[in-house]
Amino acid sequence: MAETATAPIGAEGRYWEALREGHLELPQCAGCGRWHWPAVFRCGECGSWQHDWKKQPLVGTVFSWTRTHHPFGGTESIEKPFTSVLVTLDAVPVRLIGILRPTGGNVAIGDHLEGQVATMKFRGRDLPAIRWSKSL
Amino acid sequence: MTGFLYKKTAVAGVGYRQYPRGTADMPERGVLVRAIIDACDDAGFDPADIDGFVSYGDDHNEPVRLMSDLGTKELNLSTQVWGGGGGGIAGTFQLAASAIVTGQAKAVVIFRALVEGNSGRLAEAVMAHHLNDHMVGAGMVAPAQICAMRAQRMFEYHGVPQSTCEELVRASYYHGSRNPDAVAYGKDLDIDNYRTSRWIAEPFRLFDCSRENDGAGALLMVSSDVAKDLAKNPVKLLSAAQGAEKGWGDLLENDDPDLYATTGFRAIRQRLFAQAGLTPADIDVVQLYENFSAQGVASLIDHGFCTYENVAEFVRFENLIAPNGKLPVNTSGGNFAHGFVHGIICAVEAIRQLRGESANPVPDAKTCLLAGGPGSPTISSAIFGVD
Repeated sequence: MAETATAPIGAEGRYWEALREGHLELPQCAGCGRWHWPAVFRCGECGSWQHDWKKQPLVGTVFSWTRTHHPFGGTESIEKPFTSVLVTLDAVPVRLIGILRPTGGNVAIGDHLEGQVATMKFRGRDLPAIRWSKSL
Repeated sequence: MTGFLYKKTAVAGVGYRQYPRGTADMPERGVLVRAIIDACDDAGFDPADIDGFVSYGDDHNEPVRLMSDLGTKELNLSTQVWGGGGGGIAGTFQLAASAIVTGQAKAVVIFRALVEGNSGRLAEAVMAHHLNDHMVGAGMVAPAQICAMRAQRMFEYHGVPQSTCEELVRASYYHGSRNPDAVAYGKDLDIDNYRTSRWIAEPFRLFDCSRENDGAGALLMVSSDVAKDLAKNPVKLLSAAQGAEKGWGDLLENDDPDLYATTGFRAIRQRLFAQAGLTPADIDVVQLYENFSAQGVASLIDHGFCTYENVAEFVRFENLIAPNGKLPVNTSGGNFAHGFVHGIICAVEAIRQLRGESANPVPDAKTCLLAGGPGSPTISSAIFGVD
């Protein structure tokens, strides 16, 4: 069972294991092929309990973003201001959130980004997290 | 055809106590008891006869612990609406009315209490409800940031002009500056200050965000039959709805593309208005829960008062203020300018406005829509009316 820094884990245990191994995996329903994110135990569309975790490239486009200036508790390890991005993956209909590199950089909806798996600190614990940067 | 709850129950009394953060004269439960007694005094109702309680937003005050202070004889209903944010606020009336109409309780208090020394900062409590490793890994640890990201999509992609937020904030402060009980009383909003105040999370600056107060609010609900013999003119519940639709919820920002920048109310709009037998054009005044400016604007769109296309025409200062605006909004100052105790002032002001007790009265107002906490995974709204 993967360890988390905050809430109890749901059905996405493999996601965290894969990130710790340095790559992205997402679950596809073995019954109907649907991509569920957040991960589910049971597919509400076809009733299947089988999900295949498949490796995905970390490339996508910006769906939305915000640049945080206020020093909210829990962001101590992040330089301010920092830009958080919500990214629609190119390969599968899933959105992931992460922090933009360089920290606090400019971005617009529709920009193409590439992601890398990094490690960050949250309340003293190491956490795998995705860092996004503009595609060259 | 109106709904099963239509006009069967009424709010008979309201109580509200508010303090600047950290200055409440009693611990949280004491402030709450005070607000409940205020509501009973307002109604001319014996607090010992309250037999039900409903709250929302992870309130910490378990009703059974209030019994000794209130002299409660029997506790017949004790519950709250799920969700860490203010999304459940109007759903409380739905639960209370359902219990009263089905004979499970006779007098139900709807409440919310928040005193920082006891319950901590609201923003942190709300976020603790939603926090997970996905969000913290992106530095997303506060409601302001999540709402900011959704607001950015509404402005940048859906083309809603950001100026609408300024109009809404101005209207709230206009009302607050004329309300002796409001934090903004006597103070006009300096528009340059609004435009240049520090960034919180883009596109939000400081005055786009509601800021927390200590306090408690309580509303006493009884059947309309009982209410007509109490002290104040009963304000009847016409309809209330709560919920969420497929493609909306606690989805790690994976809501349906068309729903993402909304505040979730499209799920209940039809039920809400149909059960009241009304349309948005029939609403005289709105108490609009605004945690953040853009979510207030989005809530007006979701409820059908305007659209992405005509929002700039509709959400204008002149339209939003009492007494003569087309749709006066937040007539006490709302969460922005009256004070923020998890939005309960919006419910209290809905009742006061329909009784003619508002600091900013809307002449002959007969219907008031309470729009609940916008953008929460579970949302709710209610419509009140006077005969």
